[in-house]
Amino acid sequence: MDLSHCNAAPGREFFFGTDALGRDIFSMIWHGGRISLLVGVLATAISTVLAVLVGSASGCAPAWADGVLMRLTELVLSVPGLLLTVFLQAVLGGTDAFCLSVVIGLTGWMSMAKVVRTEVLQLKNTDYVLAARCLGGGFFHVLFRHMVPNFVPSVLFMAVMNVRNAIVAEATLSFMGLGLPVETVSWGSMLSLSQDALLTRSWWTILIPGVFLAGTLLCLTNLGDYMRKSASKRHSNLK
Amino acid sequence: MDLLQVKDLSVSFCRPEGEKEALKNVSFSLRKGEVLAVMGEAGCGKSVLCKSILKLLPDIAVVRTGHIYVKGEEITGYSDKQMQKLRGSFFSAVFQNPMTALNPCMSVGEQIVEAVRLRHPQLSRGERRQKTEELMELVGLDHPKERVGQYPFQLSGGMAQRCVIAIALAAEPEVLFADEATTALDVTVQAQILELFLELRKRMGMSIVLITHNPGVAAQTANRVALMRGGELYRIGDVEEMFEEGISCEIT
Amino acid sequence: MKKGYPVKLLKETLKFTLSVLVLSVLVFGMSRLAPGDPLYAYYGERVEKMSVVEQEQARARLGLDEPLPGQYVRWFRGAVHGDFGISYQYKTDVKEVIAARIGNTLLLGGLGFFLVFALAPLLGIFCAWREDKAVDRLICRIGTVTSCIPEFWLSLLLLLVFAVWLGWLPSSGAYSVGKEGSLADRAAHLILPLAVVVLGHLWYYAFQVRNRLLEEVRADYVLLARMKGMSGRQVLYRHCMRGVLPSYLSMMALALPHILGGTYVVETVFSYPGIGTLAYESARYQDYNLLMVVSLFTGTLVILCNMAARIVSERIDPRMRARGGVDGGEVRRL
Repeated sequence: MDLSHCNAAPGREFFFGTDALGRDIFSMIWHGGRISLLVGVLATAISTVLAVLVGSASGCAPAWADGVLMRLTELVLSVPGLLLTVFLQAVLGGTDAFCLSVVIGLTGWMSMAKVVRTEVLQLKNTDYVLAARCLGGGFFHVLFRHMVPNFVPSVLFMAVMNVRNAIVAEATLSFMGLGLPVETVSWGSMLSLSQDALLTRSWWTILIPGVFLAGTLLCLTNLGDYMRKSASKRHSNLK
Repeated sequence: MDLLQVKDLSVSFCRPEGEKEALKNVSFSLRKGEVLAVMGEAGCGKSVLCKSILKLLPDIAVVRTGHIYVKGEEITGYSDKQMQKLRGSFFSAVFQNPMTALNPCMSVGEQIVEAVRLRHPQLSRGERRQKTEELMELVGLDHPKERVGQYPFQLSGGMAQRCVIAIALAAEPEVLFADEATTALDVTVQAQILELFLELRKRMGMSIVLITHNPGVAAQTANRVALMRGGELYRIGDVEEMFEEGISCEIT
Repeated sequence: MKKGYPVKLLKETLKFTLSVLVLSVLVFGMSRLAPGDPLYAYYGERVEKMSVVEQEQARARLGLDEPLPGQYVRWFRGAVHGDFGISYQYKTDVKEVIAARIGNTLLLGGLGFFLVFALAPLLGIFCAWREDKAVDRLICRIGTVTSCIPEFWLSLLLLLVFAVWLGWLPSSGAYSVGKEGSLADRAAHLILPLAVVVLGHLWYYAFQVRNRLLEEVRADYVLLARMKGMSGRQVLYRHCMRGVLPSYLSMMALALPHILGGTYVVETVFSYPGIGTLAYESARYQDYNLLMVVSLFTGTLVILCNMAARIVSERIDPRMRARGGVDGGEVRRL
C-alpha cells in the first residue's frame, strides 16, 4: 500500500496501475485470485454434497417423502436469495472467506438437487438397473456399480458450473458490500471500489479484475462443456 | 418405360474418422404396379438405398457415382426444392417405428390433414377433413371422427403404423417405400398391414418397394426380390425362381 | 384428468396458500432471528445516544418487545386486513414505499423479460437452422462469452463506456430531476440497465432453444414430415417448434421471477429506484415490515411461476401426459 500512488495509471512501475487505496493491482490480481477460486471450490463442495444428498434421497425415497423434500426445496428456493444470504451471514457472524463460502454453498444447492433427483428417477427406471437387480445385485452393488458411474458425468458438469456460479456470487456479494470486506483481497472486493473509480475515471480498477474474473469463468464454462459433450453421432434429419 | 430406375449408384459416408462406402454400384429398376422386396441382413444398406433415392440422407452422405431416373427423367442432381415436389406426390414412404415416426406433439388427425393439404392445396378445410377420414377408414382405423384428436402415445403400435400409412397414402404416390414397415409390429398385425398394402396396391395401382429382412414377408407379398449384402445388390429376380433356388437360407 | 377441474383448482389454490403461509413464517423467523437492531433502521445513529430505558420504550412503541409468535400473529392479523405496518427506514406505510417503486421494477424487469422471451426463440431458431455453420459457431462463441460476464461487471463496463467516456447516456436513476414526465428521458435512463438484463439472460435461453431444437431435428418424425413434401424450414417451424414450445414456456415461467426479482444487482449499480434496491436495503438494515412485504412479493411470484411451469409442462405437452410428468426444470440462482 502506497498512498502517494493512489489511482496511478498502468505503467512501468505498476503494470496494472493502483487502486484508490494505493494498492498495486498487478499483485492483488494474483493474490485475490486465490481467494476467489478458493471460495468457488469450497462453496461448490458444500452445495454439491448437499444437493447430491437431498436429490438422491428424494429420488430413492417413497413418494410422500419425495414430495415433502421437494416442497421444502422449492420453499427454500422461493425465499429471496438476498435475505437468505444476509441471514446466514449474520448467523455465522464472520466476514472471512470461509464463512462466505458456507453462505454461498448453503444458498446454492436447490436447483442442483432438483436435477439430481430427476436424474436418479430416470436411472432407477432404466433396463440395466433392472437387469442388475435381476442378476441378484444388492442395493449397494447396484448403486455403486451401475448408478453412480452413469450419474457422475452430469454431477461433475453441474459441479463445474456451480464453481462458476459460486465465483460470480462471491464477486457480486463482495461488490455489493455483503461479502468480503475491502481488506480481504479478492476479485470481487477489488471491484467494490469501482463505484469511486467511475468518478475518477480510473478504468483499470474496473477493467482488469473483471477481465480476469470473466476469463476464469469462461475457462470453467469450457471445462464444463467439455465434460458434458456427449458422444452423440446422430445426424440432423432436416437437410 | 420403367417407373423408377437406379443405375450404378454408389453412396459413401464421410465421417471424420474416415470414409465408409454404404452402397456399391447398385442397379435395379421398378415396374409399374409391382412389389419389389429388398432383402438383406441388418446394416447391408437397404435403408440407405431407400433414403438415397428419396434424398433424405444426412449431409455426410455423398453420392459417388450413379444415376436415378424417374419415368426416364434423371433426378440425381435434383435440388431439395425439386425433390419436395416428388416427395409427397410421386414418392411416399412408411418407416419402421411408427411411435417415433409420428410427431408426439401433434394429434394424428392434424398430421394426416397436413399431408392432405400439401398434396391438394386447393381443397377447403371441410374437404380436407373428409378426405382425412376417408383415408383413416381406408387403412382400417375405426371411428375416425374420434381418432383424429388422439395423440400418438394414445395409440397402439399397429394403430400408429396405420396412421403412418394413411399419411403416406395421402400423397397418392406412384411409388411407396416401406422401410421395415412391419418389423416393429406383432405378427398378427404384421399380416394385416401386409394385406393392406396388397389391397391398396390393387386399388390405387402403385408400386411398392418393400424393405425387409424377413423372407416370409417377401415370399408372401413380393413379385420380385432383390438381395443385398455389404452395400451390394447382388441378385434380383422373380420371387418364385428365387425362392425355389432356396435363397431363404442364404440370407437369414 | 381423472379428477374434475374444480377439485384440481381447489387443490392447487390450497397448495399455493399453504406455501405462501409457510414462506411468510420462514421469512418472519429469519429476519427476526438474524442479529442486528431494527432500531438503527428507525433512528439511525441516534440509537447510540439513547439510554437503555429509551431504547426499551422505542421497542415497545414499534411492537418489538413481544415474544416472536405474538409478533407474528399481530403482523398476520394486520396483513389480512391489508395493513402491513410501517417501514422503519422511510417512516411511512410500507405500501406507499413499495407503490412508489414497483412501477420502475416492473418496467425494467418486465421489459427485459419480454425482450428475452421474444428474442431467445428467434436467436435459437436462427442458430439451429445453421447448425455447425460458421455463423452458428460464432454466435455460440459470443454467447458463451457474454454468459460468463457477471451482471454487475457488465453494468460497470457499460457505465464506463457509455456514461463516463462517451457521455451519451445518464449513469444513474430512473429519470433526471425535473424531467419526471419526459418519455425520452425515461428511455435514456432505461437503456443501459435494460441492456444488462437482456444480455445477461438472452443467451442462456436462446441456447436452450437451440439445443432442444437440435434434439427434435434428429427425431424420426422429421423424415416422415419431409416425405409429405415439406421443406426443411417448414418442418422446423411447424413440427420441431411444437416439440420445443412446452418446455420453452415452462422455462420462461421459471425465468419470470428470476429476471423480475433478480434485477437488484442491476438496480444497485445504476442506483435505479426499484424493488430490488429496496429488498437489499431492508435486508441489510432490518427494516422488518418492508422486508416481509418485499420477500413475500418475490416469493409468491416464485411459487406462482413454479406452479405455472408445472401446469404448462403437464397440460400442454402430450409427451408429459403420456409419461405422467416428472422434471420441473431448472431454476438458476442470483
